[in-house]
Amino acid sequence: MKCLLIASESAEVLFHWTDPEFQQNIQAQYGASQEEGQGLPAFEDSISTLFAPIIISCSTMVDRLGDSYTSFTTENNHIYVLHQFDECLYIAVNGDGEEGEDDLRRKIYVMKKIIEVLFGMVTLSSNLLRRELRPQDTEQRARLWKHLQSLLETYSHLRENDQSFLVEAVERLIHPTLCEQCIEFLERRLVQQLNSSVERAREEVLHAFILVHTKLLAFYSSRNASTLATSDLLALIIMAQNMYPSNTDLDDPGPEVRNTNNHSFYTPEPSPTDRDSNKRGSTPVFEFMDPDIQMAEDSLQTLEVPPPDPSTPRRVFLEISSKDGLYPMMPHSMYCLPLWPGITLVLLTKIPTNNVAASVYKYLEAFAKLEKRLSEGQEGSAATRGTLTIHDIRSKLDKFIKALGPSDLQSAQLQNVWTEFKNRAFARGGTGFNKDLIPWCKNMKTQLCGIYRQCFLIDSGPGDIPQRLSPGLQERAQTMVQEKLMDWKDFLLVKSKRNITMVSYPDFPGLIHFICVDRSTGQMIAPSLNITERTTSELGKGPVAQFIKSKVWSLVSTTRRFLRKGYSTVTLRDGDFYFCYFLWFENETGYKLEAGDIPILPDDSAPIGMLAWDYYRKLLRYYSKNHQGEVVKCYELLTVHLGVIPTEIILQHCRQLASKLWEPSRNPLL
Amino acid sequence: MAELIRRCSNFFLYDGSKVTGEGDPTREGICYFYPEETPIDKQELLCGQLAGVGRCVSELSSSPVRILRLRRNKYAIHMKDDFFWALGCSVEVPTVSVCELLDQLIKLFCFYNGSIRQSYQLNSRETLAARWARYLSHLQSGSSELHHIFSCLRTIDSTNVDPLLLLKAALILQACQRCPLVLAGCILFRGRVVSTQMSPELTMKVMVHESETYTKAQKPNGLSSTSSSSAAVCSTTVFLTMSELQYLQSPPVDKDLRSHSTPHKDGPLKKTRLSRTLSDMASTESDSSDPGPSQSPQKMSFSPCLSESDNSLFSPAPSQSAADPLHPPPQSPEPPFSNGKHSHEAEEEALEQSYYQSFHSNGDGDSQIHNKGDDSVFEGNSHFNGGGREGDTACGTVFDFRGGESGNEESHDDKELVGDSGRAQGQTAEVGDPPPCYGAFDNPEESPLIPMTLYLHRVKGLVLALLVEPHFLSDTASMEEVYHSSLASLNGLEAHLRTISPGAPGAQGPYIFAHFDCIQSTLTTNLSGRPGGAPEHPFVRATSLLHLHFCNTETLQEAIIRSAGAAVYGTRSVAQETYFQQHGGSLRNSGIPNHQDSAFSLPSKARHRLLKHGVNLL
Repeated sequence: MKCLLIASESAEVLFHWTDPEFQQNIQAQYGASQEEGQGLPAFEDSISTLFAPIIISCSTMVDRLGDSYTSFTTENNHIYVLHQFDECLYIAVNGDGEEGEDDLRRKIYVMKKIIEVLFGMVTLSSNLLRRELRPQDTEQRARLWKHLQSLLETYSHLRENDQSFLVEAVERLIHPTLCEQCIEFLERRLVQQLNSSVERAREEVLHAFILVHTKLLAFYSSRNASTLATSDLLALIIMAQNMYPSNTDLDDPGPEVRNTNNHSFYTPEPSPTDRDSNKRGSTPVFEFMDPDIQMAEDSLQTLEVPPPDPSTPRRVFLEISSKDGLYPMMPHSMYCLPLWPGITLVLLTKIPTNNVAASVYKYLEAFAKLEKRLSEGQEGSAATRGTLTIHDIRSKLDKFIKALGPSDLQSAQLQNVWTEFKNRAFARGGTGFNKDLIPWCKNMKTQLCGIYRQCFLIDSGPGDIPQRLSPGLQERAQTMVQEKLMDWKDFLLVKSKRNITMVSYPDFPGLIHFICVDRSTGQMIAPSLNITERTTSELGKGPVAQFIKSKVWSLVSTTRRFLRKGYSTVTLRDGDFYFCYFLWFENETGYKLEAGDIPILPDDSAPIGMLAWDYYRKLLRYYSKNHQGEVVKCYELLTVHLGVIPTEIILQHCRQLASKLWEPSRNPLL
Repeated sequence: MAELIRRCSNFFLYDGSKVTGEGDPTREGICYFYPEETPIDKQELLCGQLAGVGRCVSELSSSPVRILRLRRNKYAIHMKDDFFWALGCSVEVPTVSVCELLDQLIKLFCFYNGSIRQSYQLNSRETLAARWARYLSHLQSGSSELHHIFSCLRTIDSTNVDPLLLLKAALILQACQRCPLVLAGCILFRGRVVSTQMSPELTMKVMVHESETYTKAQKPNGLSSTSSSSAAVCSTTVFLTMSELQYLQSPPVDKDLRSHSTPHKDGPLKKTRLSRTLSDMASTESDSSDPGPSQSPQKMSFSPCLSESDNSLFSPAPSQSAADPLHPPPQSPEPPFSNGKHSHEAEEEALEQSYYQSFHSNGDGDSQIHNKGDDSVFEGNSHFNGGGREGDTACGTVFDFRGGESGNEESHDDKELVGDSGRAQGQTAEVGDPPPCYGAFDNPEESPLIPMTLYLHRVKGLVLALLVEPHFLSDTASMEEVYHSSLASLNGLEAHLRTISPGAPGAQGPYIFAHFDCIQSTLTTNLSGRPGGAPEHPFVRATSLLHLHFCNTETLQEAIIRSAGAAVYGTRSVAQETYFQQHGGSLRNSGIPNHQDSAFSLPSKARHRLLKHGVNLL
């Protein structure tokens, strides 16, 4: 019983995802009045009708009380979480007790993050985003929604099963020599060769990394690239997983079914097995829905001809931190090259028109600031003060528009609005800088987003040669890395499942599990938790491991709740276990800094983590205020011990783990 | 008042059945809205939107909405039939507490008014609005933030009170119960519980009427009517749920023993209250109707406890009590299970604790005085058993408490009595307020509400509240009996309680603690209990967070949480929750795991420090 819905303020459904149970529930409620066999639109209609009163009440509350709903809970423990981003209302529902309010809120934020990575600054204009999320063409819409649904499902699966997505930090494969070799290989051989090739079509490889399932084997960034934010890296891992789902958990029926339905047109060849298992996936209760599914698939079938070229990169929008500041959502191309099942090479390139995006962002920011000042009642010169004065912008924007060329419709529109804006703001007869200018600020922003959309989101016309690394070049890159890793392939696949194991910690009797996270680099270390029947870990197999896993998962959500209220140390005696959680700060030399106040956040604040909203970056910034001129690092440690172990011993263990884990020399595993 | 506003920002009852057509104005459906001065269009907006969204969500999930959160407020919701209740609080208040508050409020209303639908049929909105307002202000008023977090009963500070007085109070109640029409009672002093035989829930409900009559009594223009006993006695009709009633009726009172003291008038009642033994008791316990989940622990604990004491009280055969494994031989100086107490099952612990207010033996001069969960519980009892037996043939007998002080006290009491009853003539007493609806049934599928009578006997700040069968009021003999049997003792008790200084809360000490007894719903704390006790206090904040977490995680036993400013330790068992914070000490720490960190010594410190407050965490 799960659902995620995005709706516009006018209760138009911009996206929805439901699991079969929820769909069944909706259809059962609607079934009485609705004739069957109406196909996909019918379900969309019913979901929109049922949610409409909630959506409309939401906007009424915002308009008239200035307050909005954040959640509902029913007596049978169905949870509804609502969050409004600009004019898009996100509603996440759970009715099977598997997700709590925090999980649902996190899902909403992750969905928003995914949309940002896919649509970039278009998300800054609700109007454009609405059109982007709900294309007029039903086929196109179905395809887009399927893609988003699949990404969401991939994320949910990872969050429920992968520790790195539980704590939202990247996990590395612990094999120092191989990692080093690979990084060197990426740097000296691969990236160098790619960037010096003429077939790169003016693209430049900025980052290259190798994923073994969700774990990072090697990561290389070219010298002139900015750091890839953890948030973006995690989002890219979700996308890579979605394209080439790893079947690590073959004996776990859930993910298999999950992965089958919608990859057919993202994988190079539509594989027949996928389609078979799709049939298997639809449970008998949905017999009556078969026509719908068939229809949806038929429409996809038509879309698959011609199948999208696998060498076509995905456009992704990632954050760049450069000398003159932070630029969110800058366009990149993402090449996801499968090496073997479970092992993927990912290349991120800078596209040649990158600087247009940076300019658009600067202008957007300037108009947003201006709008904010004007709406706060500032007028005249007070309103125009800022890092980039409006007069600066005036000349720059003039040049920018000239460079775009007035040929096409979008830049002509921008030109018109800009002229009107100038007339009002600067001309004698104009209104000058006051509240009347606000709508024109908004209009300018929309136009800029439109330009951005046209430059980076719309595929180039059919006649153009697609802008990308040539297929041959991609193939060569793929082969190079395959050759390099050929001997290691099987080892890596096993290693990714048993990265480190508790067997390696004989000096910690009674320690069952731990997770250690370096929040400054967004990396984590934890023993593998294998819960499938086939593999036996130290935790035993099956139910016992599953039980411990569920404890670890709930511990993480508990500690987040306390952290949100300002508690950075938590110990819990729960059943037969003793849990500890510590968050602390160190400077670069490893000196432990004094614990400071941690901001207290409201219950409905953004989820604590690094994927959707980087809490720790903000925490570090907050903490660093009192540690000027020092590089501050933030660490977290979670441990699970047997309850019978004396607390002193447990705390000693924690201390040892905390001091040892990030020191390669002392860790037997590094 | 400021506190009141902060705690509950909105409350309303909306009747959807009044607004069905398109043209019906929303205001038709608003039965009550707090704060009443809210502009009507805002009332309509809130009621309309929340009720509308509530209905929509409950249709989607096929279950009523329980909690509705906004960014700045959270609402506990109750939906039943066409009625929609919403109680809004600021977001800092723990959700469980808000929900509890709303439930209490609704139950309180039903307790005094019967079913909602019928009350609104029989009374005007204005009348009932005044009642909602009164209940609301009662539930919110005058306690500290900690009390609100746990929704606990306000009790007198038992550490300040001579245990003998608590015993005395319990005995008064027991004596009243000898009249078969009396179901159970409690004694309250200045709005605080001295002793009660009822479940915390019921006690809490009864206290509303007490505070109400108290305020009325303060006003000179109170309506004067006198009861046959011509004292500050009043009564009102109340409505009990089936399970509450069954629970009250289940305490076994040995009819055979009582029969010669009180003539039987209640034919049908006899069936349920025939003589019982402990084994009898157990069987009826198990098959008596299912109590609400919140009530079950009380059922388990209270009733056997009563049977325990009553048996010992009235049993003519000492062998019986000696044979009882839970009941030590009457004169045994040290009950055999005193050490095992805390390892016992929770139900036994509850059993002992549930009577902590009443059983404080000081028969022998050397008895140690604990403030709760006293080991000598049954000793005290047996003293009474020995001493009081001779006098109990008639209810009217003024109890002669053994011990030095009783002689003086007696005469003193008599004087008081004269003055009292003289004054009482002019005082308020609403007797025989005709029950608004007899045998009120909310609707078929719901448990019926059974009308009973709440009888109050006030002696200045002290009130004896008894739940009695409705025809008790017409039974002059019984009334007089109850009145006279308790009057002198009440006077005495009042005089003593009055002299006790409200007392600075116990030694402050370098620590703060709060100990919540889930069974009795009582709180012991050394945090200054002034109303409005700052909710931003780190201890209160941590406690509220941990309490919520304990509520949500059944298996959680203890927790230490630390922010930059404070480390708080919380521990709980089935019967209690305890929170502890140590002041001072070096709070400078890096947050890195360190076994020398003072935060991790909190459990042992708590164990040590709290012993002297009668909190045993071992």
